[in-house]
Amino acid sequence: MNALREMGEDSALRAPALLEVDDLSVHFHVPGSGWKQRKRVLRAVDGVSFSVAERETLGIVGESGCGKSTLARALLRLVPTSGGHLHYAGRDLLALDAKSLRPLRRELQIIFQDPLAALDPRMTVGQIIGEPLRALRPELPRAERHARVLAMMQRVGLLPNQVNRYAHEFSGGQAQRIGIARALAVEPRLLVCDEPVSSLDVSIKSQVINLLQDLKTERALTLVFIAHDLASVRHIAQRVLVLYLGRVVEIASRDAIFAQPMHPYTRMLFAAAPIPDPDAARRVRAAPVRGEIPSPFDPPSGCAFRTRCSFAIERCSAERPRLRDLSGGQVACHRAEELLTQTIPLPAPDAGDAHAAASWS
Amino acid sequence: MPVLEVRNLSVRFATVSGGTVRAVNDISLEVERGEVLGIVGESGSGKSQTWLGVMGLLARNGRAEGSARFDGRELLGLSHGALNELRGARMGMIFQDPMTALNPFLSVGRQMTEVLQRHRGMDRRAAERECIAALEMVHITDAPRRLAMHPHEFSGGMRQRVMIAMTMLTRPDLLICDEPTTFLDVTVQRQILALLDELRQRFNTAIVFITHDLGVIAEIADRVIVMYGGRVMEQADVHTLFASYRHPYTEGLLRSVPRPDVTSHGVLATIAGNPPDLAHLPAGCPFAPRCVYCEPRCATQMPELLDVGPAHWRACHHVGALGKLGTAA
Repeated sequence: MNALREMGEDSALRAPALLEVDDLSVHFHVPGSGWKQRKRVLRAVDGVSFSVAERETLGIVGESGCGKSTLARALLRLVPTSGGHLHYAGRDLLALDAKSLRPLRRELQIIFQDPLAALDPRMTVGQIIGEPLRALRPELPRAERHARVLAMMQRVGLLPNQVNRYAHEFSGGQAQRIGIARALAVEPRLLVCDEPVSSLDVSIKSQVINLLQDLKTERALTLVFIAHDLASVRHIAQRVLVLYLGRVVEIASRDAIFAQPMHPYTRMLFAAAPIPDPDAARRVRAAPVRGEIPSPFDPPSGCAFRTRCSFAIERCSAERPRLRDLSGGQVACHRAEELLTQTIPLPAPDAGDAHAAASWS
Repeated sequence: MPVLEVRNLSVRFATVSGGTVRAVNDISLEVERGEVLGIVGESGSGKSQTWLGVMGLLARNGRAEGSARFDGRELLGLSHGALNELRGARMGMIFQDPMTALNPFLSVGRQMTEVLQRHRGMDRRAAERECIAALEMVHITDAPRRLAMHPHEFSGGMRQRVMIAMTMLTRPDLLICDEPTTFLDVTVQRQILALLDELRQRFNTAIVFITHDLGVIAEIADRVIVMYGGRVMEQADVHTLFASYRHPYTEGLLRSVPRPDVTSHGVLATIAGNPPDLAHLPAGCPFAPRCVYCEPRCATQMPELLDVGPAHWRACHHVGALGKLGTAA
């Protein structure tokens, strides 16, 4: 229950966990290429543990290939897991068969990054939003279902007279509203948002973020908000989890992690985010960014980040750091205490790109 | 003299149904040597089509009108052959997805040496040596081995580096970058931005950087043009634009974006409505239907781009102060 220990402003307010993830792994077996045809294992999610409290918004950030989307799907059992535990409202999700999982599907919903790709082009908006109701609430009479679809459309800012239109007739922002309406029509408790605003225009992004926040409050939702865009995570999340190559490197409250990121990767990631202010942006331009994310087929030994880390020592390649409690949050770094107390001097920005990792082989 | 001078450029597309999409409407601008000109806009702003029009790369149903002079020489109406001479050698373009510009069947070395053999008449040996130097210049290690590799063997960030190296082979005077970092992670984006800045300083190449990301603009641009509905809404140097913007749309963009360096609380400011439909643009200001300062004449009369300060222009009828969307976070 360590993940539940929380310092800072919301410590007393934290409700019991709605979702508990313990040592969860998702490994994909990928056929090899070339004459050897050796099967390779891709550890997309590799021993991830965290919990989400009821009505909390947990932000998950990380670069492409860090396993964000796979984790999102694993939470809803949309991809087979390879190990670990997943408890939702005290029930062991991984132990349930398809039939007993079905009633729970109502409570666990997801919205996707590319809203148009996530909507069936042959269905009308009414059918799209009504489908989860039809599948998961078959007892509802048709008229009631239709009324709910219309109410839902109105709630997310679509016009009821658009009910017979097709998804391609909508802009990206409107399509994401359809996706939100579809997910919320069955009144879920937990909503997983996988990069919900990444593909939207700047002026539409804030509309959708506001809508999600309103709906969250209104419906007492618990949100898992996955994004590579730090700014929207900083705005919406109460706690933030940072993933790197399928592993959790840090979890802390929003205020703590942005005030003082503990893990070297969190520091690098945060320092790399472009700031919409020319004075501030140019001040931090020299922030050192080294290399690229290594291949998930062949992650470095020990700490997965050590090949790009300015603070790596021998121990980092020998021993995989555990996620442990520190300073009110959790961090997986052997040198976190030293970094926190600033006893190691910051190295100078890396000039070249000596560590530019080899391309994925 | 500016390296590129665009006067009254318009780009139109004929649609299948017989309509016209007015993607770019009467745009004038200059690009100075060695500067980074940032072009901000959302989908349908015309930010990409402006430059495809200048480069003669429009889709077949598209037509560019007006004038675009590169180093004093008119580009519009130039023959295919003459354009190709200029495009390979003196103007380069980098796209969002490097795979659209790289041939997946050919090794990177083959594609790079071709540029030098064709535009500089080099033999293959000399071209290869030059390409290795170019890859090293964009901080790709182990360059000789990389030349034999195919594009799919590189990561997204590395591919974009290869594109930059390839474009820089001929030391162009003008490099147009159309959302070159949008598909990349922030850490890789940071590296690419630093690299472009380095190349600009080294070769005095003018860079046009097209993006929807104001953070990226703040980092890299010297001057900024804000586009909407195929028109220039506001134009200023980067510090003026962020600190004392004068256009409601610029205000909307800057105020509605959450910042990674500041914790914002509560409701974000928003721009209501959706981006414009270019086939049915309003007669007046394209932003009028979404503008909180909209006046009656905005719907019928397109405001002119007028100066509101030194090297600061905007196209807006509104005379009073802005600030309806709140002040800086």
